[in-house]
Amino acid sequence: MMDNAMPVSVETIKVEGCDTIPRLFWHQVGARDDRTAFREKDLGIWKSTSWRDYGERARAAGMGLVRLGLERGEVVSILAETIPEWLYVDMGTMGAGGVSNGIYPTDSAKQVEYILSDSQSRFLFVEDEEQLDKFLEARERCPQVRKVFVFDMEGLSDFRDDQVMPFDELLALGRQHQADHPRLWEELIAGSQPEDLALLVYTSGTTGPAKGAMISHRNVIFQIANADAFVSMRANDEQLAFLPLCHIAERTFTVFLPLRSGAIPNFAESLETVPENVREVAPTTFFAVPRIWERFYSGIAIRMKEATWIGRMAYRWAVSVGLQVAEARLEGRRPSALQSLLYQVADYLVLDNIKRAIGMHRVRFAGTGAAPIAPDLIKWYRALGVDMREVYGQTENCGIATGMPDQAKLGTVGVCAPHTEVRISADSEILLRGPHVFMGYLNNPQKTAETVRDGWLHTGDVGFLDNEGYLKITDRMKDIIITAGGKNITPSEMENQLKFSPYISDAVVIGDRRKFLSCLVMIDYENVAKYAQDSNVPFTDFASLCRTREVIDLIGSEIERVNQSFARVETVKKFRLIEQQLTAEDDELTPTMKLKRKFVNEKYKSLIDGMYVEAT
Amino acid sequence: MAEPILKVANIETYYGPIMAIRGVSFEVPEGGIVTILGSNGAGKTTVLKTICGVMDPQKGSVVFQGREIQRMDPDKVMRLGISHVPEGREVFPFLTVRENLRMGAFTRRDSDGVAQDLEAVFGYFPVLRERADQRAGSLSGGEQQMLAISRALMARPKVMLLDEPSLGLSPKLVKDIFDIIVRINRERGVTILLVEQNANMALQTADYGYVLEVGRIVMADTCERLVEKEDIKEFYLGIKEQGARGQRRWKKRKTWR
Repeated sequence: MMDNAMPVSVETIKVEGCDTIPRLFWHQVGARDDRTAFREKDLGIWKSTSWRDYGERARAAGMGLVRLGLERGEVVSILAETIPEWLYVDMGTMGAGGVSNGIYPTDSAKQVEYILSDSQSRFLFVEDEEQLDKFLEARERCPQVRKVFVFDMEGLSDFRDDQVMPFDELLALGRQHQADHPRLWEELIAGSQPEDLALLVYTSGTTGPAKGAMISHRNVIFQIANADAFVSMRANDEQLAFLPLCHIAERTFTVFLPLRSGAIPNFAESLETVPENVREVAPTTFFAVPRIWERFYSGIAIRMKEATWIGRMAYRWAVSVGLQVAEARLEGRRPSALQSLLYQVADYLVLDNIKRAIGMHRVRFAGTGAAPIAPDLIKWYRALGVDMREVYGQTENCGIATGMPDQAKLGTVGVCAPHTEVRISADSEILLRGPHVFMGYLNNPQKTAETVRDGWLHTGDVGFLDNEGYLKITDRMKDIIITAGGKNITPSEMENQLKFSPYISDAVVIGDRRKFLSCLVMIDYENVAKYAQDSNVPFTDFASLCRTREVIDLIGSEIERVNQSFARVETVKKFRLIEQQLTAEDDELTPTMKLKRKFVNEKYKSLIDGMYVEAT
Repeated sequence: MAEPILKVANIETYYGPIMAIRGVSFEVPEGGIVTILGSNGAGKTTVLKTICGVMDPQKGSVVFQGREIQRMDPDKVMRLGISHVPEGREVFPFLTVRENLRMGAFTRRDSDGVAQDLEAVFGYFPVLRERADQRAGSLSGGEQQMLAISRALMARPKVMLLDEPSLGLSPKLVKDIFDIIVRINRERGVTILLVEQNANMALQTADYGYVLEVGRIVMADTCERLVEKEDIKEFYLGIKEQGARGQRRWKKRKTWR
């Protein structure tokens, strides 16, 4: 089915009769009017914003930018956490004909400078004082930035700078401009074209400097039009918005898909409060990266270790019942009457409580993506009764490329999105074609030509399609390890298994052109410290914790457990712990807290070499 | 390295259901000055109370001169040679200064030695001699702090636990008191465990330091190296790099490295 040449649709793609983001947005603002668009927590209370207010503020922001000279096609950058203002600026900018670009709030001043220059941003929106300082540090080298707007002026009341303006002032300016030119906004929206550049998304760049992927209105509208093949979409769905909006996955889920569905994002107070917020909101659709799913799981796993004997037995029993039912469904069988009955009991007594503890008791669609995940973890959620589905895609195809149909198949990322094609190249690379393929990298025709050849997007991922058209991803092409013995090894499979351990936050398997495999481990501080405390292991700081014999043995036994499910040549023979607690600001981590393989390989070279020196 | 005189391993101490100390371990070498830094509510005082027996740990051990002393009664701990100078001084207000000092020597039977120590204490804090017959409640805050330290000293301790000696004192007085703490350490060989919010003073005085945050130690190093750490500078010493605006009010994330 997938291999058949499929004519890539060239006719216009529309949602609600609209073929660009601003048209769809403005159409829905009118249609939905006082219905809730999203909620945010203000002084402890969830407050709603209507579509009318969402539209009015977006228009004020957009008109303000026009008043200050924004021209069609010019870039506006946003440097902020996941907050409603992000959406006002995003929609305002695109409505005014500008190009919207998000910058990770964890980026350093240097990275901000690079992105501002590379994108030739004319305007910049920053969240607060902290983010503003990054710009002020870089501003001499970013002369093209005309003005900077600050959402939260706390701590800046006595700060005066011609180039810096409070966001509220911009809105006031925009409202005035709107009053003076009442038809301009709608004219600007009418001027948007589907083939126009809508947004830039800088890919985190684990190799070399970040590249700005150019996404057109058509790319986004196409995804909005087809996402319901994999993502449940109903008006009044409750969601939680907490991942960085610069990331295409969160942007799609929180900003774009609700344009069609009317689902209501609830903005989490911060990344730290996600566990509480998710319980309060009890989302009906929830998308998260594997790291978040891993955290929920390890929270429960650790709690179960402390539970009473009866509690542990009940948990074990209930999960095993859940697994039987989940496995039956995965195999396309109906669970037996007895299994169904037992499941109801297990759900009533145990599973429902677990779901409530992680806020998943109302969830109809639980998505995971943006990074590989251990199939066993998905199975665990399915045993609880959470219909977790993996989606696969990348920035360059504007989000979804494949998704899991109702008949899920674990270990795969599902089937090809409607009206698109997936193909495997001669050297096993996954190729994508369709209206979702991006326009190319900004200022980088060479990279663009390497990435998109004959309309096929070269993903850099290696994988294969099975006989039913399900895509299985082996690994990132450049991550594949060829050992000195000539054996090809895909590290991510093992890494995902390792991350499944509550004590391991992330792991990098090493062994390219080496005699055996080794591994660098970043421990989960909270859980490992708890373990040390419970087993009477004295430690002081993070490094001393990593050096205790007991912790090394603990991680060793976790690795050994994972080793058992791999062939002997594929097992990890040695490992080291990273003795520094890393944060998202560190270069070693991506903004989504994944270790960057290449960077880690360089930074911890001596630690890695040490493992191989001893061996000889 | 010689066996430390005081060794705390993995203690957990609760206030009702709240675990205030979550697996804290540290060592104090004989004759040294060790400081524990931390903000309000980090658990510093609880650590000292657990050592001197006022509070009992749920778990873990406190080893003093090779002997486990956790869950021992405070008076026994004190007889073994650990004196506690509590936060807020806690002198006996209606007793005179001299009586307060004698209370410190309550457990001692060697009257010659006590008289000697009384002289020594007056040597350290001459103002206490002047006020020897005055009620302790009528002393100034600084004098009360001197009295509390002196009272602890009267027991001829091997280890002295000092809980925020700088609390509420003028900068000048703080310096004087810290000078004397160092002298007591050098001249009398008393090992000192110092808990402080005045990180600047504590880091100058001590040899080794631990940083306590919400019941857990997050950093441990010699004071020389601690003062060079970015997080210590920003969060404990109040030194910030100058930003592009000349000042910056937002706080970095703590990384403790």
